[in-house]
Amino acid sequence: MTITVDPHLSAYAEALVEAGHAASVSAAFNDAMAEKAYRDRRRRSLWKAKADEANPGRVSRLMAHVDQQLAR
Amino acid sequence: MTDRTPTPFILDTSVVTAVARADPDIMGLIQGYDSRNQPMVIPALAITGASLDARSEEADELLAGLELLDNVTVAPLNGAEQAARLADVIARTGLEPWDGHVAAIADVAICPILTLNAGKWRLHVADLDEPLHIIEIADPSE
Repeated sequence: MTITVDPHLSAYAEALVEAGHAASVSAAFNDAMAEKAYRDRRRRSLWKAKADEANPGRVSRLMAHVDQQLAR
Repeated sequence: MTDRTPTPFILDTSVVTAVARADPDIMGLIQGYDSRNQPMVIPALAITGASLDARSEEADELLAGLELLDNVTVAPLNGAEQAARLADVIARTGLEPWDGHVAAIADVAICPILTLNAGKWRLHVADLDEPLHIIEIADPSE
């Protein structure tokens, strides 16, 4: 896999390696993607938990009202 | 059988703010549209307006979660031309920048605006070259 990275992010990854905070530039980007995967999972779970509290009858009425307006 | 892609909805700041406030019915509505493969566009500045309203970490997580839905696209403000076009729309409508961005995208894309506040939009329907198409999210039984 070949990726193109913004110069300032590439410089930051290299700085992490030089400071001993990452084993390599590849490891720095791996860590960043792992962090993103974790955040995205957490956000999906939060969304699901909140949306599960919805009143299905009211949601259906809201959607029907939208559909009626679109059909005009 | 036709394979027609539905016209995208543009969510205005009131709808995005409801997400930031964790309104379960509005989140359920958006999730319902997502599961129907209904494309939805969220202007980036509508997210800014919603985040300013809510000011909490959970709100920003919910707003970021919107972008993870399969049929949601966040429309950025991209480049000098779009920025100047937004200024023109704000000047002509008097809308705040958040909904100004909504109007600018609706005007270009000719897509309906979904809102919880149709009264506000009705004042601006004819402000631009083409009339804005406003769809109110409301429960007729209330």
